[in-house]
Amino acid sequence: MGQAIILASEAYAATGGLVAAWFLLWRIEQIDPSARGAYAFRPLLVPGIVLLWPLVLWRSRRPAVSPHRSFRQGHRRLWIGLAVLLPLLLLGSLAIRQNGPSEARPERLAAP
Amino acid sequence: MSVRYVPVGWSRTKLIYDAVLAAGVVLYLLVYTRLGPTLRSGVAVPDDGTIGMRAFGTCAFLLMSLVLCIGPLARLDARFLPLLFNRRHFGVITCAVAMGHAWHVLGWYYAFSATSPYIAMLTADTSFFQLRGFPFVPFGIGALLILCAMAFTSHDFWLNFLGPPVWKRLHMGLYAAYGLVVLHLGMGALQSTANPLLGMVVAASVAIICALHVLAGRQVVSTVANPDWLDAGPVGAIAEGRGVVVPLAEGQSAAIFRNDGKLSAISNLCAHQNGPLGEGRVLDGCVTCPWHGFQYRLEDGCAPAPFTEKLATFRIRIANGHVWLDPRANPPGTRVEPLAVDEAT
Repeated sequence: MGQAIILASEAYAATGGLVAAWFLLWRIEQIDPSARGAYAFRPLLVPGIVLLWPLVLWRSRRPAVSPHRSFRQGHRRLWIGLAVLLPLLLLGSLAIRQNGPSEARPERLAAP
Repeated sequence: MSVRYVPVGWSRTKLIYDAVLAAGVVLYLLVYTRLGPTLRSGVAVPDDGTIGMRAFGTCAFLLMSLVLCIGPLARLDARFLPLLFNRRHFGVITCAVAMGHAWHVLGWYYAFSATSPYIAMLTADTSFFQLRGFPFVPFGIGALLILCAMAFTSHDFWLNFLGPPVWKRLHMGLYAAYGLVVLHLGMGALQSTANPLLGMVVAASVAIICALHVLAGRQVVSTVANPDWLDAGPVGAIAEGRGVVVPLAEGQSAAIFRNDGKLSAISNLCAHQNGPLGEGRVLDGCVTCPWHGFQYRLEDGCAPAPFTEKLATFRIRIANGHVWLDPRANPPGTRVEPLAVDEAT
């Protein structure tokens, strides 16, 4: 299972590398005028493209529109929920712990 | 935007901000790794790998806690606003420290064998079907991936490319990352009763962050459906060079500013990343967004040349010592003559 996850992650990252090359060498200047003639910042985008390449491909086909909206109301509702959830998570994890041994001095074992 | 991208948009203020932050991180790590072991009396001193892992881990947790406090603190007290201006660099440094923690873990607990450390990390503890002893490492991996996604997309390009709504939602993942870190610590380090200090620090962090966000959220006044004019409070409550925020229906908001004794109202949402303009200052006749310094003229909501962004403006009036705002926004860029306070009162 662990091996499969690592292999899948490597394949995902390799695909992301290809997408990054295509996007930074060709596509970026078509979709963002501020990127034309600007090259020094492009290497900074590589990790993000490798990590989020499906989102990059989706957004390349559908450029962003910029509606004005406030995030404050959703933010407030989110934090009312988190103010309940976070203490519960912490107290829950503390509730299940056992009284383990404190860090004892190491003992040198005799050779078998 | 109409300017060419640069790798990092540093200004003198941002350089000082970053230098102080980096110095604080280095000092914390040095104190933890060099001075900390000498202060432990009566208990065995852990090995260097463990100390390094704990130093980076606790540092990342404290940085996350601080960065989460900045937003509500700035809303509760304007004196904290300078901390908000360069919060993205704060986040990138937090991610770098968290990666240092992961690097120490991989190079110590999962090293020295023929098995790849990555595979060892994923397979060393798979007791997913028991509550007590539930693997805590996946929580840390999840939090680190979120921090990486945020740090890697912190450049202005990503704001324009993804659009403010998507970018902002992505970066609100910090809350999920914080929750995962609390679980990572709660199911991991805090399962040991040897060091109560860490438990107290985590509990204090959770309590302070939750309290600050709830307190800041209470400042948002309940919205009124569609009245003709909204009471924005007494004229004297608007300080020179500052603004007040007026919540409108459907999550929108306007901001009323006082500049040279005159009042003007524009949208509270910056065209760049929907930053809260009402929390910004008026500089050279323009309101300056507290998030990234974008500026807009107060009389027409337009960014000064060569920029082309435009915001909606609003009509205001003064009656009985209070400012009243017409919630029906004018089209972006519409000029509204600033209202002289002395003449109107």
